[in-house]
Amino acid sequence: MMNSPQQVKNPSSSLKSRFITRFLGALTKINAEHPISSSSPTRIFQRYRRIKVASNKSMAYSVRSRRIWSRAMLSRFRSRRSAFSVRRSSVKTTNCTTSPPSALIKVTINENKIAKGGLDMQTDELRELVPGGEAMDVCNLLGETAHYIKCLTTQVQVMRKIVDFYHLSK
Amino acid sequence: MESNAGTLETRSNRTASEREEVAALESLQFTDEIHRLMSAPATDNASSFTALLELPAPQAVQLIHSPDSAKLIAAPAPNVEDVKGGFHFPSNGGLIERAARFSVFAGEGNNKSDSPEATSNNSSANLQKAVKSEPAETESSQPLISDPTVENRGIKRKDREKVKGQTKKSKTTAKESSDDAEKLPYVHVRARRGQATDSHSLAERARREKINARMKLLQELVPGCNKISGTALVLDEIINHVQSLQRQVEFLSMRLAAVNPRIDFNFDSVFTAEGVPPQYLKELLIKLYDKRKSSGSLMDSNFSGMVMPMMWPEVQLNSNRQQYPQQLHFDAFQQPVWGREEVCNNYLTPENSLLSYDSSANSGNFLDTLNEST
Repeated sequence: MMNSPQQVKNPSSSLKSRFITRFLGALTKINAEHPISSSSPTRIFQRYRRIKVASNKSMAYSVRSRRIWSRAMLSRFRSRRSAFSVRRSSVKTTNCTTSPPSALIKVTINENKIAKGGLDMQTDELRELVPGGEAMDVCNLLGETAHYIKCLTTQVQVMRKIVDFYHLSK
Repeated sequence: MESNAGTLETRSNRTASEREEVAALESLQFTDEIHRLMSAPATDNASSFTALLELPAPQAVQLIHSPDSAKLIAAPAPNVEDVKGGFHFPSNGGLIERAARFSVFAGEGNNKSDSPEATSNNSSANLQKAVKSEPAETESSQPLISDPTVENRGIKRKDREKVKGQTKKSKTTAKESSDDAEKLPYVHVRARRGQATDSHSLAERARREKINARMKLLQELVPGCNKISGTALVLDEIINHVQSLQRQVEFLSMRLAAVNPRIDFNFDSVFTAEGVPPQYLKELLIKLYDKRKSSGSLMDSNFSGMVMPMMWPEVQLNSNRQQYPQQLHFDAFQQPVWGREEVCNNYLTPENSLLSYDSSANSGNFLDTLNEST
């Protein structure tokens, strides 16, 4: 029953709708479990982390295993889930802590700028940014980056709408 | 011409030791043929000349390279008839491929042309263009015929096989190579086999083509990249874009965390823009909570395949209370931080449940807006 077929395919099968479904489910769950009774910064920060992870996870699951980066991200989540075990996958990144990736990127960027030249610098930076990028050759890396950008854009779009909705409903 | 071809064929049966002499001889004969053809009118003879050119070359090479001699002997033979019958030069794919493989006259091609990288792959495309410009190249080819044959003898079989492999990849590099081919007819094809490094450059060229195609795609994705020229700057821009997107996600999730989490979705209107009927969505969310009963991958469940026409409030009361302490990936990231007991506690308060179906129009067409800008 498609009221307004904005997408050609069955809407429930498009990346955006899949992401929306999952992310909203995750959000409701988070909000159900950890309501903001106290607006302490710690709580907020915890929620922020959870929401961020939920968002990335929702997107990764929406893409399933069709992409190298999504597979890398999913395996990262799973390895993280095993109670921060020491089990690291050899290929994927092992920095599976909750620290945002940008901190790590800045360090490596500086090192690369000093050490290398040419396009190696940029490709290394890209590898840091795109999950699972270390194991890819440049050609695949560029393709994965394209898909990753598309998914990130969708993610941002949806989240922004949700935020706007919240503000409106206030 | 036919007699010459005939003699070449017979010579192909000799042993390797004699092949060098034969090759030299053949090259001489070839030069004679070229002289003959030069005097003849050019246009009509273009096809015939290429036929001539084609036949001796592969056969000459054939003598040098023993393992393929069997195949090659078979291949050119039927072409004699083609040659006679008003020559279909490009249509003989097999011969073209082999001729392409054995670029005997690589050296002369390099000397004549400006692009030493006449090592491109696509034999058929190149040779088609090669036909037109061949008569122009014949002059240059004469004095150098003997040299490439000597070179080819020294070339290892490995390189030959590499080139063979790359001819298959040739289709991707067809366009680029055809540009080179305009000046280097046959020569350019032959040039492919020149030295050991050329086969590497073939692979590199294919690789570069791929990378350039992806870069173009990325340029279109990232706004403002079309104007930038230069790979490094474009890559910088791409990296900035990815970083900014990631930061935006973090920022938005921070905002979401700070916002009061009372989500009163009016699901009736929520997914209409998306074409998902509200009942369907309810079922989705029902399944969301029901799946928690069965441990494991909620996310792998096929939402579209579910059939659970339960009433919304019923499910809310029932499932919320019973089914929570499960290992789900959504639970997962909470697990290390919070114990399970806390997770269970919160679910027992239906008023907290965000699945409360508030039919007030307050929530508005939330997800209509989500799908408006697709």
